[in-house]
Amino acid sequence: MMNLIILLAVVVAAGAVLSVQAAINGRLGETVGVLRSSLLTFVVGAVSTGLLILFFEPAHAMSLLDVPKWQLSGALFGVVYMMVMVGAVPRVGTAVATVAVIVGQLGMGMLIDNFGWLGNPQIELSGSRILAMVLLGLALVLMYRSNTRQA
Amino acid sequence: MQSSSIDVGVATTPATKPGLRLLLLPLVILAGMGLSVEAGLLGPLGVQVGHLWATLSIFGVGSAILFLLLLFSGPKKGPAFSDLPRWQLLGGFLGPMYVVVLTLATPHIGIAMTMIAILSGQVGKSVLIDHFGWFGATRKKVNGERWLALLLIVAALVLIARG
Repeated sequence: MMNLIILLAVVVAAGAVLSVQAAINGRLGETVGVLRSSLLTFVVGAVSTGLLILFFEPAHAMSLLDVPKWQLSGALFGVVYMMVMVGAVPRVGTAVATVAVIVGQLGMGMLIDNFGWLGNPQIELSGSRILAMVLLGLALVLMYRSNTRQA
Repeated sequence: MQSSSIDVGVATTPATKPGLRLLLLPLVILAGMGLSVEAGLLGPLGVQVGHLWATLSIFGVGSAILFLLLLFSGPKKGPAFSDLPRWQLLGGFLGPMYVVVLTLATPHIGIAMTMIAILSGQVGKSVLIDHFGWFGATRKKVNGERWLALLLIVAALVLIARG
């Protein structure tokens, strides 16, 4: 229970960090273009992760070369996501695109959890999980409404 | 790597033909589903080869693909990275934190819940930054609706922690 709360707090913090990154990258993307700013982000990310591995990562029985190849396809989804957003956001608007992404994310997340796809632990859809989704949906509606009013 | 790293906030909707919109929306939803698939792949991978190695696979493969895309997309004019203010180059250090946390968290709390927690961090950060004017943002009053939204999100997190 205590561990779970700490873990949740860490994930929330990661969300905050992510939006700081988005703000920084947004400025960079305006000046150098989306492809180049993403490339910089990925290269800096790869180099800093590589350094961390060299100095801190303990040895593992398996390496990236030993796992089934489909397990390495995660980055493809990230890049495809980026390309779709670059193309779609100017046409459908940020707000609509954001809601559509979240719908896709949560829907797929629930499916993977519920069926334990891709080798994930199976977590059945419970009442409290559904209620949590509803609360989140309400929160998004409120954020959206308060924002359109200010604008 | 990316998540829906857009603060649920900026609501500018330019005019577009409705037909095109309807065509694009499923595509955007699919892209969002892809993000959950990415997170779903990362968790088990991190358990097998280590969280940092899983993170490196994302950034390594992503760098390689983007490099190729850039190489073949033709010459682009623009300022060199060395001409830009240093702080604009710092975003790359923040991404790995997010990916490492993804690989750590998804095996324990599941993908849907990880996404909710990430989202609450994004929303909470934007509300707090606006309210207190952190990071040089212009301080503006946060209205009741947005505080209520934050409250709902915290309630959702409590539900997850208890459930």
